[in-house]
Amino acid sequence: MTRVIVSGLGVVSPYGVGAKTFWAGLARGDCAIRRVSIIDTEGLRSRIAAEVPAEVLPTLGVSRRRSRADRIALAAAREALAEADLSAADRASMGLFVGAVGGGMLEGEEWYCEEARTGRPSPRLRALRSILPVSHAELLAWRLRLGGPRETVVMACASGAASIALGADMIRSGVTPLVLAGGVDALTRICFMGFNALKLLDPDPCRPFDRSRRGMSIGEAAAFLVLEDAEHARARGARVLGELLGVGMTTDAHHVTAPHPEGEGMIRAMVEALAASGRDPVDVGYVNAHGTGTPQNDRVEALALARVFGEGGLLVSSTKSLIGHTMAAAGSVEAAATLLTLQHGLVPPTANLRDPDPDVPFDCVPICARPAELRTALSNSFGFGGQNVSLVFGR
Amino acid sequence: MTQKEILDELKALIVERLKFDPRRAADMTAETTLPKGLEGSLGLDSLDFIELSVAMEERFGIVIDETENLTDEFFSLDSLSRFVLTKVT
Amino acid sequence: MTMSRRVAITGIGSVNAAGQGGSSAIAAALARPPEAIAALKTFPVERQSGLAAEVDDAELMALFDVAEVRRLSRICRMALAACRLAAREAGLEGGPRLGLAVGSEYGDFRSGAEFFNGFLRRGPSGLSPMIFPNTVMNSMAAVIAIAVGAKAPSITLNQATVAGDLAVARGAALIADGRADAVLAGGVDEIFLDVYRGLAALGALSPMRGQGREGCRPYAPDHNGPVLGEGATFVVLESLEHARERGAAIVAEVRGSAWASLPVAPHAAPVRRRDGSRTVRRALEQAGLAPSALARCYGSGNGDPSLDDWELALLAEDGIHDPVSLAPRFGQHGGLGALRVAAGALAARAGAGPALVHGIARGGCRAALVIGEAA
Repeated sequence: MTRVIVSGLGVVSPYGVGAKTFWAGLARGDCAIRRVSIIDTEGLRSRIAAEVPAEVLPTLGVSRRRSRADRIALAAAREALAEADLSAADRASMGLFVGAVGGGMLEGEEWYCEEARTGRPSPRLRALRSILPVSHAELLAWRLRLGGPRETVVMACASGAASIALGADMIRSGVTPLVLAGGVDALTRICFMGFNALKLLDPDPCRPFDRSRRGMSIGEAAAFLVLEDAEHARARGARVLGELLGVGMTTDAHHVTAPHPEGEGMIRAMVEALAASGRDPVDVGYVNAHGTGTPQNDRVEALALARVFGEGGLLVSSTKSLIGHTMAAAGSVEAAATLLTLQHGLVPPTANLRDPDPDVPFDCVPICARPAELRTALSNSFGFGGQNVSLVFGR
Repeated sequence: MTQKEILDELKALIVERLKFDPRRAADMTAETTLPKGLEGSLGLDSLDFIELSVAMEERFGIVIDETENLTDEFFSLDSLSRFVLTKVT
Repeated sequence: MTMSRRVAITGIGSVNAAGQGGSSAIAAALARPPEAIAALKTFPVERQSGLAAEVDDAELMALFDVAEVRRLSRICRMALAACRLAAREAGLEGGPRLGLAVGSEYGDFRSGAEFFNGFLRRGPSGLSPMIFPNTVMNSMAAVIAIAVGAKAPSITLNQATVAGDLAVARGAALIADGRADAVLAGGVDEIFLDVYRGLAALGALSPMRGQGREGCRPYAPDHNGPVLGEGATFVVLESLEHARERGAAIVAEVRGSAWASLPVAPHAAPVRRRDGSRTVRRALEQAGLAPSALARCYGSGNGDPSLDDWELALLAEDGIHDPVSLAPRFGQHGGLGALRVAAGALAARAGAGPALVHGIARGGCRAALVIGEAA
């Protein structure tokens, strides 16, 4: 049976550029959620987010004329491919799966704002050309010379994880031995205002699994993984960063914003991923939770985790407490975190967790990273609209 | 504002913000129940309630704390208009 | 390659500018001459592009109980209506083995604009929480999943020109890979003022470069750009074994599917660029067919001159000529690729032989599906 490994990783995060920088921030437990600078947040309840640092953008080696999201996506994709060290022939058959939601909407919004200000449509139309989520894949396929199957997956908060899952399926079914899979989202007014309007944002940095948690914090990032047929990797002597053992994908079909109250879809996704991985719940030492910090998500996710793994005996932490909810990038940036966790034997903490919710029957690794001998870890992404993806990684 | 005036404003908000047919508003009374799952109710779910809360905050100049359990207050147009009345006076 | 399951088509549903219904309605629309493209009715246009293929709103709303779709945006209503028609035709039930694959070019742009305009007009208090969930392109899938009880993966794909083709290919792969036993797969787009005007301003609609008579004339010497359409078309894809076990009427089989990228610049359609991935050949090999065995090719050419010419050149490489376009009948929109699959399926059922459903988009996304009788 085909095994899928990871042979390259690229990340642009609120900590800066590169997977190394990303890991360093996670290991230190640094919370990158600060006052928003790139959009006006006057009059909104929450005015904080985890932005990619301003000084980083010009160093990415991508033209300023491209949208913010395109820029961070290309930079992260390049890093992953550089690490995988592939030939042109390899790239010519390589699949590309991009999880995206906001696309170039940040720049598109500026277009709308200008029209509202002047009363006339702005003549600067370039902003509109890369407004759609599909723009990232178009840019990446061209610049990186990727000739395999291409898909832009829009699955709300699970987009980045779904890309990895579908990319892995492509490899397992023999369509191609290589896939570049990941996700990207840059901060947009629509996203920031929308979650504010739904009262799902915490005015202070989020506190997943805390007794007094009040909501999410938003972030932005891009992360890409090179997924590869293990045999293909072995034959060319590729670095192996970890293995994608199994995936589960389900839909709650319950409500457009609220998850199923008993986590029915979440449970099915985790069970399916574990079954595909060939490992048992007891083998899993760490779960990288969806962990948004909303009262509802964390409660239901904890319930679902307890149903699958039993209570206790498992470390759980939320990357979103450190770098915010990075929307379409979340699934892939958290997959990266999970891989790095396994590699380093160190579990990144849940930041801001000072008073763990007694109804959450797990050690959520408050404040400080925890060394741990881990063989298997699971990463959850549960999208708006009840679209669930669970990924099981192994060392 | 009187409770009756508040009730009429609520009916207008329900039509405008929750996209109910305006003809439905004529049939709504103080006794009309709101939450989904009750027979004969307007069938509102959590997303409708958030929208309605935001609309009420803007229309009446009040603040609604979303962490409070307001199930009783959102039961019917009568209970809801009473709730608004306590907040505006 | 691992053993994978055969994929049948067991139902079709569509809401489009030429009408709405299941297989018989689509067959009737295909048999009539194209007549749905006309002057835009729903908003005024000042520039030289003013044609479109619009869905009749009264006909669309007649498919619903008004109260049940109160909150649904227009594009969600279209997608839901088409899915219900397809599911009903197939006698399909919901559950953990029913998935979704939805393709769209622009998604619910209308809701995004409405949401953002609320802010531009009234500041933060003008933001509607209820509209916000519609601003993410997977809202159609979320709504459909709830309505039909689809609990296997629901995948939304954003892609220009070949969104519907890609969704069917993705849906077939979900079944072949064992992630679902049935998938409602198709595409949807609606005509929205801001998108129409934006495209016209970018010179992306007929008459491109302001030259010639406005109209949709794919592959013709006087082709000068696409004309927008709207609607939703979905097919029920099902594992052949599963369909036979439950006695479903099988319309046709997806006998081969392949998709790939031609690495060209975004929005480019360079006629000389060839396909190293042999997309059509791979789909034909899966079907066990030579190009000469194809009865017909349904192409994605929509009157955009560079795209038409590029497609003809790519197809000619494999000895395939004279593709048929459905764009004059339905206008360019995300559902068009699924309409081509439907047309191929209906032709195969009528004994016309296997069809190639082919698509190539600006920016190089290419898809090929071989639709034939289920042997």
